[in-house]
Amino acid sequence: MAFAASLVNWFKRNLVVVAGLLTLAYLLLPNVVVTVFSFNRPNGRFNYEWQQFSTDAWKDPCGVAGLCGSLSLSLQIALWATLCATALGTAIAFALVRYRFRARGAINSLIFLPMAMPEVVMAASLLTLFLNMGAQLGFWTILIAHIMFCLSFVVTAVKARVMSMDPRLEQAAQDLYAGPLQTFLRVTLPIAAPGIAAGALLAFALSFDDFIITNFNAGSTVTFPMFVWGSAQRGTPVQINVVGTAMFVVAVLFVLAAMAVGNRRNRRKA
Amino acid sequence: MTTKATTSRPDAADRGGDVRLTGIGKTYGSFTAVHPLDLTVEQGSFFALLGASGCGKTTTLRMIAGLEEPSSGTVHLGDQDVTALPPYKRPVNTVFQSYALFPHLDVHENVAFGLRRRGIKSVKKQVAEMLDLVQLGEQARKKPHQLSGGQQQRVAVARALINHPKVLLLDEPLGALDLKLRRRMQLELKRIQTEVGITFVHVTHDQEEAMTMADRVAVMNAGRVEQLGTPADLYENPRTTFVANFLGTSNLIEAEVDTRGGDDLVVRAAGGKLALPGARCSAPAKAGGKVLVGIRPEKISLTHADDAGSVPEGRNRVTGRIRSSSFIGVSTQYVVDCPACPEFEVYAQNIDRDPRLAPGADVVLHWDPAHTFGLDADQSVLAGTTGEAGIAEGGAA
Repeated sequence: MAFAASLVNWFKRNLVVVAGLLTLAYLLLPNVVVTVFSFNRPNGRFNYEWQQFSTDAWKDPCGVAGLCGSLSLSLQIALWATLCATALGTAIAFALVRYRFRARGAINSLIFLPMAMPEVVMAASLLTLFLNMGAQLGFWTILIAHIMFCLSFVVTAVKARVMSMDPRLEQAAQDLYAGPLQTFLRVTLPIAAPGIAAGALLAFALSFDDFIITNFNAGSTVTFPMFVWGSAQRGTPVQINVVGTAMFVVAVLFVLAAMAVGNRRNRRKA
Repeated sequence: MTTKATTSRPDAADRGGDVRLTGIGKTYGSFTAVHPLDLTVEQGSFFALLGASGCGKTTTLRMIAGLEEPSSGTVHLGDQDVTALPPYKRPVNTVFQSYALFPHLDVHENVAFGLRRRGIKSVKKQVAEMLDLVQLGEQARKKPHQLSGGQQQRVAVARALINHPKVLLLDEPLGALDLKLRRRMQLELKRIQTEVGITFVHVTHDQEEAMTMADRVAVMNAGRVEQLGTPADLYENPRTTFVANFLGTSNLIEAEVDTRGGDDLVVRAAGGKLALPGARCSAPAKAGGKVLVGIRPEKISLTHADDAGSVPEGRNRVTGRIRSSSFIGVSTQYVVDCPACPEFEVYAQNIDRDPRLAPGADVVLHWDPAHTFGLDADQSVLAGTTGEAGIAEGGAA
């Protein structure tokens, strides 16, 4: 009885920890499955049942025709879309927060439209637009579409940050002999940086795994999500899991590195 | 009376730190924040702009800094007209309300910011010296959010002072601090000002702060300067009811001018006669005209009615009944009901306390006529008081 009581007590004290761990498990379970199955040697074309441990796929990630080409294309598009959307979105966010101009309210709401509109509708209308303009579907149409839908997310992320910025900080910079450019580079940009970084990461993730809009506007070009979709019709190569796991590991390493840098900086300053 | 900091002036001939505002005003649409005003702040002096919130004092300061563009008039620093210069080209630095320290930079970099922007490469020694001046040498590598309010305030002062500006502007720099710390920082700022000898222009709504720190004070109300002078001058010789009430407490009695004999003025109030020096009456006083007679609470002596005979001749006297008394330690504050003035305030030093002076006792209030001042009766008696009516009157005046 005493044991049961102490167990209940332990549970009460650690309820938050237990709940947190369970939620984390729920979040990470799909990743675990992807990772585990990247070491599978499937029997047949589909990688849905565990058969046998193997590192074959890891040794030859580009062993499937077209996979690495599509991956490289997706990364290029994501990179360019992130760069352009972040630059444009940051500018729009500053304009919306800092300046009073006609139609500011309307633009503020219109910015949300691409986020609110069903993606498949937007994809179809974009295709109509491109076809009517006589555009050649491919890399450029995909990139233009990605920049467009990433913009709203960047604007939203940066705007939140800029709005919470004390305008007196920039006045203080000006008061301390910083001209407009110096003020922007030395004070405004560093303070807005977390918002800009958040917007950029969001843009990258959205662009990299976008399927619907890309599928409509890609022509004969194949991005990584399209490749996965296409191969899923005929069988799923283990290499897809390898790429998925690698992306996950890279992201985790990225976060760990950022944390380590932050920690070291704090320790040095203290 | 003259408290000009002549000793702190490095070179009496150098007038580069004079601030001269000529006809400077600011309007936002139809709202006038600052009516065109002329003001000269002498090089090396500690000048305070005092007033309630919304009186235009901060706007005036920001126009000196260049952060606000004046609608009219000019700003001169010494002989240089800086009206058209942007803030980053003016030899003026500001300590902002709530400090506006750069959150992404540590204390050292915050203080070095102005030097670096002017292209000075080796800042280490100067920054260390400045941090020592404000006693923050140990905290150089901390971020602003790791500091206490008082420390942040000192960083803000150091960040501005290191540039050796001709004028240092302080926008309610002590407003966010608790009372005890505020008192300490007042002394600290005063010490720094005497040490560096730079012109300080200080904006505050705290009359005690303005009087403790400043050599000269401009009392502002509704976008106008009500009165300008040394703290003692403003306190002893207020020229408007706003100043009389905003700086300390004043008892104001409505009276009618009786006679003018020599230097003295005799007025009738509630059946009695009061005398005041003619020079201390800012109102046009002709026989039969109305004036407001003012007297500060600490100038008044309180005598029990039974001892009325012991009050010396030649003193102004008013009779009344004590409504309430509160013991403050160094003094006792009485509120006395009298026909001349419904709530007469009297502060008596606790030297010899008369036990009969309790609420309900009949008393005689008396004071030296020389301590009496006279004001124009055509203004609200309540202007500048802290009550509802006072604020409303102050705003509308």
